Amino acid sequence: MLRTRLSNVGLWRSYYTSSLSRVPRAPPDKVLGLSEHFKREKSAKKIDLTVGIYKDAWGKVTTFPSVVKAQKLIESHLELNNNLSYLPITGTKEFQENVLNFLFRESCPQFGPFYLAHDRVSFVQTLSGTGALAVAAKFLALFISKDIWIPDPSWANHKNIFQNNGFENIHRYSYYKDGQVDIDGWIEQLKTFAYTRQSENNKNPPCIILHACCHNPTGLDPTKEQWKKIIDTIYDLKMVPIVDMAYQGLESGDMLRDAYLMRLCLDVEKYPNWSNGLFLCQSFAKNMGLYGERVGSLSVVTPATTNNRNSNLPQQINPLQQNIDSQLKKIVRGMYSSPPGYGSRVVNVVLSNAKLKQQWFKDVDFMVQRLHYVRKEMFDRLGWPALINFAQQHGMFYYTKFSPKQVDTLRNQYFVYLTGDGRLSLSGVNDSNIDYLCEALEAVSKMSELA
Amino acid sequence: MSASLFNSIELLPPDALFGIKQRYGQDQRTIKVDLGIGAYRDDNGKPWVLPSVKDAEKLIHNDSSYNHEYLGITGLPTLTSNAAKIIFGTQSEALQEDRVISVQSLSGTGALHISAKFFSKFFPDKLVYLSKPTWANHMAIFENQGLKTATYPYWANETKSLDLDGFLGAIQNAPEGSVFVLHSCAHNPTGLDPTNKQWVQIVDAIASKNHIALFDTAYQGFATGDLDKDAYAVRLGVEKLSTVSPVFVCQSFAKNAGMYGERVGCFHVALTKQAQNKTIKPAVTSQLAKIIRSEVSNPPAYGAKIVAKLLGTPELTEQWHKDMVTMSSRITKMRHALRDHLISLGTPGNWDHIVNQCGMFSFTGLTPQMVKRLEETHAVYLVASGRASIAGLNQGNVEYVAKAIDEVVRFYATGAKL
Repeated sequence: MLRTRLSNVGLWRSYYTSSLSRVPRAPPDKVLGLSEHFKREKSAKKIDLTVGIYKDAWGKVTTFPSVVKAQKLIESHLELNNNLSYLPITGTKEFQENVLNFLFRESCPQFGPFYLAHDRVSFVQTLSGTGALAVAAKFLALFISKDIWIPDPSWANHKNIFQNNGFENIHRYSYYKDGQVDIDGWIEQLKTFAYTRQSENNKNPPCIILHACCHNPTGLDPTKEQWKKIIDTIYDLKMVPIVDMAYQGLESGDMLRDAYLMRLCLDVEKYPNWSNGLFLCQSFAKNMGLYGERVGSLSVVTPATTNNRNSNLPQQINPLQQNIDSQLKKIVRGMYSSPPGYGSRVVNVVLSNAKLKQQWFKDVDFMVQRLHYVRKEMFDRLGWPALINFAQQHGMFYYTKFSPKQVDTLRNQYFVYLTGDGRLSLSGVNDSNIDYLCEALEAVSKMSELA
Repeated sequence: MSASLFNSIELLPPDALFGIKQRYGQDQRTIKVDLGIGAYRDDNGKPWVLPSVKDAEKLIHNDSSYNHEYLGITGLPTLTSNAAKIIFGTQSEALQEDRVISVQSLSGTGALHISAKFFSKFFPDKLVYLSKPTWANHMAIFENQGLKTATYPYWANETKSLDLDGFLGAIQNAPEGSVFVLHSCAHNPTGLDPTNKQWVQIVDAIASKNHIALFDTAYQGFATGDLDKDAYAVRLGVEKLSTVSPVFVCQSFAKNAGMYGERVGCFHVALTKQAQNKTIKPAVTSQLAKIIRSEVSNPPAYGAKIVAKLLGTPELTEQWHKDMVTMSSRITKMRHALRDHLISLGTPGNWDHIVNQCGMFSFTGLTPQMVKRLEETHAVYLVASGRASIAGLNQGNVEYVAKAIDEVVRFYATGAKL
């Protein structure tokens, strides 16, 4: 019986050919695809300004001194170095305490502790910022909403993350106009469309992505006054904020200072209750240079319940937080069971050792000072004022406003790689390539006039 | 106060294994034994970092080019290509014909999740068949992605052996083109594997119905100490299905390299022999990359570098092979010690299955009632199904555990068949 059926192999072959050939080819990732292309580039002049990885003044990816010391401590530590056991599903207790302490006590000293004291924060160690966004997306899509507003422009992966993790409607809000944050257009759009664009039978609160600082890709952030207007609007509209904090420290060099958006959102006097929660997605990729180790966190600030609202006394365990915790665990268990250990051990050592922590703060400041120096040096050569608009232009990226054609020309004729949207990573600029780079940028910027 | 959608979110029960770990941790008794979680312990009951892994770590730390840069979306190529050779074999026809796609994953769960997401995106109507019983997380991984699961008979409780007829019957009766999740060796939780001859029958039956084989390979080298022996089923499947259907492999280095918490694994797709692979391979690869990008961006580097060093440095590979023998032979020794103690105690029932099973676990046949009494009266912890992690046994506690089992069996077993 079996044998006669097996003789029909040719038939099955055609069946399967058609089944996997139904799989279309996905376009390459806009950022990481380019760096793979760059590796194959043969020209000696090539400059990679695509990925947001910090490189030092010699073009090298180096490990922060604080992290090197932490690694040494781990290597020589009998217990830390002799245990590659599974971490708990949402990470270790130590990691949770250290990171919550950093984010909610040190970064948000006025109101953060209030949320911790009332068990109002559900926490997950995640695979950096992307992992935090993905877990948040799955949770939101299951219980809260499948509608999200993403800035236009934004990090290319935002849309991909939400689309692939249960969201049905991706809306874009106007963020950038004529070199400025389009604050009026943004608020107007939310007020007009936030709910009306949803389908009739879907009145769930829409979510909104906010870049906490160093907006990716424009490098342009709202002023503090503008943020107040925006958060007021979002709060009034009962939207669910998702704060993507990938670059804490890279704006000013001072990590605590850069958490201003979180401080604003957690202000209990202004915003007494985010009725469908607030989601903080945080990453140590950039500010601790732990990119490939995938360390970050998701903090879900849960809504007030009747028994813990407006009370200064710590209550018994908040049942709401426990429910959320249990659901977050289920999501993680089905995705990857438990998070990777090494990166979180490094973070734990840095955050719990006063000396190393101090060193880490210095390391971040040192990095940011170099990025500021690059901006100034480029400004000296190009005279583009946005380069040194330190009040609003922040972080690792400079947004050239180049058209896709100009970006192509830069790549093909000058071997200078930017992302397709014209984003330039300043960290790839150094004394040895800045003159050549600025000549290329100058030439390409004049292209449109010629055409 | 405005109503919150949060109020309707239910509390889920804690993960069963996590519950055991917690109760065990709080247990104040001087003698206690944890046979719950599937992680190797040395003869002192301590987690064991493999000597080969320690050496690999040293090499990595001393490498002047060591940094924390992002890996590519599909992972570290020196890991994924060597991992493919380990599981498919260096002589693999599929590898020689360049029809294998390999991407890095967060260990076995991550690989299974990628496969679930891939199926739900492109073949959402396929039924996914899981062995009964199976690893507790299998069903959740597939159902979380909206896929429907069914089960195939596997364990015959009466005889404590494989229910081959039931298994083959389920394959025959499943809708054409279904997905069969197969444990390639050291079946979890039973520790019972088909013989090589039985595998041939299973794979032939799968071929006859155009099904897709998905191998969960979490214990290669851990079952027998020999990577090739433990890869028999996978290699057979890839060969026999090469003109029938693609074969999916979810590979973990958690157990065989002791990388548990570092989350190192790979997801492989062996395509069928066909001319269209030139377009299908990049298409499938691109979709897998898109899935990975949307959840983790790129996989974690540290563990990947360690395993890549293990697989790519001949001296380390040799040491790693020895380390796997160390682990598997200690477990085999403990299986025999437990069985022998039970026999000398005259514990009612036949205990040969303990030595016939392989891998980390033994499906002891103890009832939930007995398991409960083991925990309460003797501080011996295992999951309610009667699955015991043999790695938790050592020279210092095996006799104690045998006596505890003896007591609970006698307490309940008048008349029960064991």
